Amino acid sequence: MSAPPPAAVAAAGVSERLRADPGLALAVAALWLLLGLFVLYPLVMLLGRVFIDNGQFTLQGLAAVLTDRHQLQAFWNSLLLGTLVGLVGTVLGFAFAFTATRCNLPRWIVGLIDIAVLLPLVSPPFTTAIGYIFSFGPRGLITYGVLGIKGVTVYGMTSTLTAESLTYFPIAYLTLRPMLAAIDSNIEGMALSLGASRWRVFRTVTLPLCTPGLANAFLLLFAASLADFATPLILAGNQFPVLPTQAYLQITGLFDLRGGAALSLVLLVPALIVFLVQRYWVGRRQYVTVTGKGAGQAPFDSVNRTVRWLLVGFCVAVTLLILWLYALLLYASLVVAFGANHTFTLAHYRVVFTEGMRAVRDTLIIAAFATPLGGFYGVLLGYLVARRRFPGRNAMELTSMINYALPGTIVGIAYLIAFNDPPIMITGTAAIIIAAYVFRYGPTGIRTTVALLQQVDRSLEEASQGLGATSGTTFRRITLPLILPAFFAGLGVVFIRSMTAISATIFLVSISWTLVTVKILENLTELALGPAAAFSVLVVAIVFVVIFLIGRVLRRLRAPGTLPVTGLLST
Amino acid sequence: MNKIRSWLRRTTQLVAALAVASTALPAFAQAQAVNAYSIWPENWARPMFEEFEKATGIKVNFVRFSSGEALARVIAEKNNPRVDVLFGGPVETFAAGIAEGVFESYKPPSFGKLPERFRHADGQWVAIADDPLVFMTNNKFLKESNLQPPASWNDLLHPAYKNMLQMADARTSGTAVTRIFSILEVNGRDENKAFAYMKQLRPNVQLYTKSGGGGTLPVGLGQAGGGIFFIVDALDTKAKGYDVSVSFPKEGIGTAAEAIALLKGAKNPEAGKKLIDWASSPAMQNHFAKYKINFVPAHPDVQLEPSLAAVLQGAKIFPIDAAYAGANRKRVVDRWIAEVLNP
Repeated sequence: MSAPPPAAVAAAGVSERLRADPGLALAVAALWLLLGLFVLYPLVMLLGRVFIDNGQFTLQGLAAVLTDRHQLQAFWNSLLLGTLVGLVGTVLGFAFAFTATRCNLPRWIVGLIDIAVLLPLVSPPFTTAIGYIFSFGPRGLITYGVLGIKGVTVYGMTSTLTAESLTYFPIAYLTLRPMLAAIDSNIEGMALSLGASRWRVFRTVTLPLCTPGLANAFLLLFAASLADFATPLILAGNQFPVLPTQAYLQITGLFDLRGGAALSLVLLVPALIVFLVQRYWVGRRQYVTVTGKGAGQAPFDSVNRTVRWLLVGFCVAVTLLILWLYALLLYASLVVAFGANHTFTLAHYRVVFTEGMRAVRDTLIIAAFATPLGGFYGVLLGYLVARRRFPGRNAMELTSMINYALPGTIVGIAYLIAFNDPPIMITGTAAIIIAAYVFRYGPTGIRTTVALLQQVDRSLEEASQGLGATSGTTFRRITLPLILPAFFAGLGVVFIRSMTAISATIFLVSISWTLVTVKILENLTELALGPAAAFSVLVVAIVFVVIFLIGRVLRRLRAPGTLPVTGLLST
Repeated sequence: MNKIRSWLRRTTQLVAALAVASTALPAFAQAQAVNAYSIWPENWARPMFEEFEKATGIKVNFVRFSSGEALARVIAEKNNPRVDVLFGGPVETFAAGIAEGVFESYKPPSFGKLPERFRHADGQWVAIADDPLVFMTNNKFLKESNLQPPASWNDLLHPAYKNMLQMADARTSGTAVTRIFSILEVNGRDENKAFAYMKQLRPNVQLYTKSGGGGTLPVGLGQAGGGIFFIVDALDTKAKGYDVSVSFPKEGIGTAAEAIALLKGAKNPEAGKKLIDWASSPAMQNHFAKYKINFVPAHPDVQLEPSLAAVLQGAKIFPIDAAYAGANRKRVVDRWIAEVLNP
């Protein structure tokens, strides 16, 4: 079939457009079905628990939260923490991405930075927090051991902010690096040769071109912080309560499902507001840098020597801090009892490979399903909402973000409530864990795809359609190669999260399917620091190997004429 | 492009192969099995369940959760229970479960022999062990501060402990609730007096932890100087090689029972009942000593292991009055949150 020329497309009615393109209609219908099933249905079931008591509608659950002074304090704390983590993490991520793409560093240094940046992302969040306490606590190896400071207070906002920023800034790096790499350096080169200073080029060319990415990174970090309960659970202490932890405690401690769910609903509001603000702000600007008119990329010196050394020095310092935290983890996995008996032993690894093997196997199988499904879901949905016109487009994007924005505990409980009874009984299966991962971590791929597509001129796809290709062919032949970096970033994130996430899935593991992260938390609560560290090291190792392999495949895929497939996964 | 397509095809094939493999995996065609959520840590639950399988031929499939998580799941799965038995965990968790109507009454053969505080009158749960609270302190910290292991509740108010104690948060931990009721008991149930003490203690508390044993490792490592824990967790810390002291206050300290219960709508009720019969009898509790699990047995016929008896020698330990605790728990915890945790 032949598609109408671009001008006519814009004029045509949307429903007519759907009829004219059955592939699009089918994809939209399928996505809505999935979103309805795995995002909206559990949420509705959860709302039922909050607002319906014995068949009666009640606002008591919500009112109890909104009138409690401490819960309100926790709400403001969450907003403050999310904003700060968003800002600090975005700045960190941008500094690293900029250093990696614009400082003409040797490949191996970029490779090293990539590896260090990956570390916080590929381990369960509480491992950073625990390494942080070992280093900076009242008897921390650095604060007490090296500096000799007594009576340090480690619990509070500063620690939580530092640990969360270190844990989540790789998301910003993941988002910003492909984007910086995709910006045609000829544009910056031209600005420079027209007489602008480097700082001016950065301020008026590079930075504005990155705006969708920066906004995106901020949003992702803000949402990640809003939803994170593990770090505050360990580091926030009693003076700095935040909502996700309060919600978790409400459910697991006070057995108050209604109160916990109500707390989470309150949390959803700021997440949605930030999302809408970001859309409005980003949506008004033009960011096309990849056009149909190709040009060779000339290397361009973005920064002068001083700035270059400052940037590199800063990245190296942060990298060293991260490496230190993980060296501690490796060390703890190899001694009998960290802090008491530092004799070398492999006993903890023996535990991992005997009793722990089932969890490792289950986790790998689940990740093997969730990763391709999540990656494909992210790119497809991201592409549809960024490029195609169909009814309910904004609603679809918004819906897809819900599971990401909600604290994992709530997603887990909602899934447990929704899928334990007919019509869909999948609790106790691997499917429920896979679904939780796909719909909770796929949104990273969606956001990355959308941000990247905002940089790619529509004329490329319109030319394809104008020449008679269907939307499916256009997607496969034109758009897919252009958004491959986003696809692999999404793939990477889903895989990494499948290996490391805990907050939602702790409620979804069962006697048939368990996860390594649950084992780690369990070992930590049993004081078995050694096995917990050994499991963590294993997770980090597996993720590195898989990502290295994906990177190899990717490099072979790189065809001339497409965007250079850079980014994290080609290390 | 062809490369991408062939890569995608290969991925699809892999996924398909895995799909087939995974459906074959959970085919454990066990003759007889019982499914359980264990609140006891895996390193204690696993040997117990292996002994049970040895004794009866019934395999126990289990996952371990903290008491709050386990109960939240049991409640969420009420209409379609995934397990038959809730194993271990403090009695107060079970009391919360009774309020949600998740248990099935069952009186095992040991029922008549158990002291009253080790069984629910209708058999909604029975106790399998008893677990007293203790003070645990880091020896290096004590030496540096020129202190002896605390022997009174008032010793914990010493300024050397400022910001150095860790103990459990009453919102999440049965350990904390037992601690608060211990303080009420030693103050003759005078609530104002008890809360005055807890408020006085507050500046010395570095952190209220989510789980009852959450502070043991920090105390072992010296990140904290001391805390109040269940004896199993404290002695386990010591056994791991951490240099800590275990002591008791002369005014006395409370103890809490650990229980087991059958779930309403259990898919394997007969096997579940057999597990309860076994766990509430000397058959299981005689194994505590062998696996170095420092619970005090609940069944009167089981001998206390000598080294545990030595630790408990001379300690003043009293059970928490279930009726009094049950009637006042919510109010007391709410008051603790308002006056002690967030003053």
